[in-house]
Amino acid sequence: MARFPSVQWFDEVSDVFNGDARYHGAGGGQCNCVWGMKVGDDVFVLTFEGMVCSGTVVADEAALDEVDFYLDMPVSDWREMVNNIAASGHADLHHTLNTLDLDHEDGLAVSHHGDQYREDMFFRYNQTLQFFFDASALVKTDFG
Amino acid sequence: MTESSANEPPKSEPVEKDPPKFQPKYNWMNKTRAWGVRALPGKAGLKLGDLNLGIYGEIPMEWDDQTRNPRGAVPRRGMPPVGYAIRDKAGLWADCAADLYEEAIQRRWAPATDVPWASIEPLPDDVEHAVCQVCTELSQYANVDIETITGWQHQMSYGYHEVKQYLATASFDAARHYECFRKRALVNGGGLGLEGPGQVNRMILESRGGWTEAVVYLFLVRGVFTMTLYRYLGRYAHNDAERFIYGHALADKSRQMTYALDHLRFAIAHLDDQRQVVATLLAIGDGGMGRDFRDPVLKEALAIIFGGGIAGARREGMEVYHAMMRDFLETHLAYCRWLDIPRNPAGFPPPLNEFVDAATDG
Repeated sequence: MARFPSVQWFDEVSDVFNGDARYHGAGGGQCNCVWGMKVGDDVFVLTFEGMVCSGTVVADEAALDEVDFYLDMPVSDWREMVNNIAASGHADLHHTLNTLDLDHEDGLAVSHHGDQYREDMFFRYNQTLQFFFDASALVKTDFG
Repeated sequence: MTESSANEPPKSEPVEKDPPKFQPKYNWMNKTRAWGVRALPGKAGLKLGDLNLGIYGEIPMEWDDQTRNPRGAVPRRGMPPVGYAIRDKAGLWADCAADLYEEAIQRRWAPATDVPWASIEPLPDDVEHAVCQVCTELSQYANVDIETITGWQHQMSYGYHEVKQYLATASFDAARHYECFRKRALVNGGGLGLEGPGQVNRMILESRGGWTEAVVYLFLVRGVFTMTLYRYLGRYAHNDAERFIYGHALADKSRQMTYALDHLRFAIAHLDDQRQVVATLLAIGDGGMGRDFRDPVLKEALAIIFGGGIAGARREGMEVYHAMMRDFLETHLAYCRWLDIPRNPAGFPPPLNEFVDAATDG
């Protein structure tokens, strides 16, 4: 059982994601970016290289200046998304990253630098990020 | 025995001759500009950009060679010129092109087998009509992408092969979009709808000022709108198949936008007056977009999709449509700010000016 959010949780999701070839084809595949996640006061930075998520670290707010983009939602919305994925094996139509990005007034994917070129990686790699979160369906999660 | 063979003269035994003596010179083996190169694969394999070593990575601002000579090879004397129109780096270059080429190949998808077509179930008639109308227009957009990209690609010299190769994948992406939108229109009891108004299509196809001008129209004007459409259609998808299609088409289109932004920034940095030229082109593009948006067909079809049917189209559907248009123009203006291109939203033609807050941009 891994607590969300934690490095252990991301590592377990990475193990599932990195090890399942289905996530690397059909429009998934090569993904090179460094992105952040903000869950309440917790900040994490994830590195994707080639086909895999190569690491997650705990970070602070300042680290979000450096990432290509970061995902920011209220804790309750993150929980709802993770629970939805766990219940149906993947995000349903109301809980995809694209839907959440459109439904949140300031968007889900944001950046401090405002560099469009880097922000657009969220769209370029959207399917890979979705596959990554969908892989969490196979990780037993508790919310502490 | 057949009649023809009966009339043939008897064959004589073949006379054995000595084969012509092969006297190889192998002097072509000395014809290389750099030998002993060992490109090394990285974590993602041996990528196109990994080959840019030594003289093979020299990418000059002007490419004088008018033949198909691969960059870094020894030119053969007496080769007639092919007549490439685009031989200056500023006219096409983007540093990201080699990586985008690899990414496009790695992230390819096959509509025939990857899209979960079986997830599509019958929809209310009005909604199916709307989906089919939108897919009709999206397939037209994709067709314009194919024709425009391929129409310029063959005019680009081989000195900049990274861009030519990336654009080959971009035209294939567009072919895939044409395919999957047509399939979606024809898979669920509907059919293709009404041809789109096509002012912007014509503007893109008939642009003659160079590839950079085509990039402005194709990506910075139409492409941003198409991206926004994909996002909203993905949000309002009726099944996993539509969600898959729009999500993957969005990723493909995002690569094109990445190329476009990188190229435009490069062109602006290296050509006098290019920034203002792009601004002028955008103003012309606004006119074309305005005329297309005055046609109500796409708007009505989208409102039906967003509103869940004709009953919801008038209020909820139109609200979402307006939100989508605001998002489109905000994204477009954000790209222009990133490129440092002056824009005046207050001067947008109707109906575009209905969707911008002139106080927030300029």
